[in-house]
This record gives sequence, structure tokens and C-alpha cells, in this order.
Amino acid sequence: MKPKFSIDALAYTVLMQGINQQYFVEKKGDMSDFRLYYDDLWLSDTAVIDDVHRSKGEWAIDLIFVSIHNPLKFIRRYIVSHPCPKRAAHKAELMRRLAAKDQRGTLLVNKNLLQMCQN
Amino acid sequence: MSNTKQRIIEASVRLFNENGLDSVRLQQIAEEVGISVGNLAYHFKNKEAIVESVFEQVFEEFDTIFRQYLVSPNMTDFDLQIADFYAFFTKNHFYLSEFFKSNSVTPPHFQQWQVGVTKMMIQLRSRLQFLSMKGDLQPEIQSGQYEIVAEQIWMSLVFFVPKSTMTGQAINMTNYKKSVWNILKPLFTSQGQQEFNATILPQLYW
Repeated sequence: MKPKFSIDALAYTVLMQGINQQYFVEKKGDMSDFRLYYDDLWLSDTAVIDDVHRSKGEWAIDLIFVSIHNPLKFIRRYIVSHPCPKRAAHKAELMRRLAAKDQRGTLLVNKNLLQMCQN
Repeated sequence: MSNTKQRIIEASVRLFNENGLDSVRLQQIAEEVGISVGNLAYHFKNKEAIVESVFEQVFEEFDTIFRQYLVSPNMTDFDLQIADFYAFFTKNHFYLSEFFKSNSVTPPHFQQWQVGVTKMMIQLRSRLQFLSMKGDLQPEIQSGQYEIVAEQIWMSLVFFVPKSTMTGQAINMTNYKKSVWNILKPLFTSQGQQEFNATILPQLYW
């Protein structure tokens, strides 16, 4: 039979001290810990645009997430790169559909929101 | 473990407590369980196998108590652990009597027992440290003070049952708990005393 696992007295003492410390060190969380979640909430209402471009000898796929309420609020993220342009385009399409909230692409950026001046 | 096996182990522990480890025969165990010796032999090859299984269970129970350390930071946590120790030492006191036999042979599984007992001592010491850090116990007047207190508590936990048998005192949970808390009482701070009065005292003197 496999001998029972055991640790020596010193290691056990240190472990016990660790458990004791836990009570004094660990504090309960509060709502501000969810800040991260609220900060990223706008990402759920974004239009996702794929961008395939040449980078380091390959076709890199970037996804741009643009807020549908304010198009000037956006982030751009590199996803993957591919040596073949056709495959890269296909992959970009798949990635875009995967990342978008609605696969049909109903969330779109409205250019009127940019309030561009025509003068 | 099968039901019969478990019943055999429980009956063996009862008989070991009454008659001592050496003087129990297989016939007695079979009678206690209510099965034939042949059936007993089907489940356990010989007495050594039974003793082996009994010790396995004893040490498993012992380890279970250690896992209850600091589940909550209150004094009731220690009180519950004392209750577990009471249940353990009243149920398995046959092992202690092995140490007091005239032929000074080391009892079986002595090393494993030593490991468990050392663990118990370390836990008690760190429990006192924790209570002192929390502000329930006064800080040590001189270094090593709580080490001695931990040893006193350890002795009380382990030897309460034999002591009560010798002096003819009643063996019950309340007396057992009192014997431990009485050691800690003089060391309480006012905060500790308050918590003790609110949570532990009502169940010791109702």
C-alpha cells in the first residue's frame, strides 16, 4: 500500500501560521471590485469590423469594436495572421461573426453620429 | 466499505475499549456482531487484519478533527473541535491504555500516532497564537508561555477520560469542555471574556 502522505512538523507550523494570517489579511470584496465589469460593458453594444492587412509578410486580421452610440469610442485588437489572403479573409469573416453580439450584423455604425462638418 | 465490515470494526472498537486490545478473541467479536466466526473470517483474514482496519479508521477520524481548524474565526470553532476530540477520545480510549502496559512494548502504529499527536500540539499552539492576535487572549508575558498552555490543554484533551475514570468523576461533554476552557479563562482579555460569556458560557453552565 502507498504510504500515507505526511509533512514534517516545521512545515505544518508554517502552514498553520498561514491559515491564521488569512483571517487578518483577507478582506471581503465590495461593489467597486466589479468596476472592471462595468468598464467593459460598452463592448456589448459595438459594431464589429474586420480589417485584413499585410503585416510582417503575412495577412493579419484585426477586429475593430466601435460603439454604436459613439463611433469615436473604439478599440482595435489583433487576432491572428495567415499567409494566404483568401483564407485570411475567410477567417476574418468567421472571427467577426464570432465576436459580434448579433451574427447578422444588425449593430452598425451610423455615420451621422460623427456629426461631420461639410464646409 | 461494506456494512458488515463496518459493523465488525465498530464492535471491535467497543470490545477493545472494554477488554483491551490483546484479550479480545475473534469469537467475542463474532458474537458481538451477531455473525458466525466463519463469516467473520470471510471479511477479515485474522485478528491482525481487524486491528489494522480499526487503526485505519481511528487515524482517519483523528485527521478529520484536524480539518476543522479555523473554519470560522469565533471561539465556537474551538468549542466544536473540543467536542470532536471528546467524541474521539471517549470512543477510542483503548489505544491510550496500550501505553501503560507493564511490558514496555511500543504499541502498534506508534509512529503514525506520534505524527497525529504532534499535529494536535502544533494546532493548539497556533490556535492560541490566533486568539492572541485576534485580541481574545492577552499577549504572552514571556516567550514560550503559550507553548506551556498548549501542552496543558493537550494533556487535558488526551487524558481527561483516564483521569475521570481514576478519580471516579462523571465523563461527559460539559466536564470535558470545562477542563479545557478553565485553562484559558485567566488569559482572556475583556473582549475575549465578552465573547466567551456570550457564546461558550451558556452551554457550560445552563
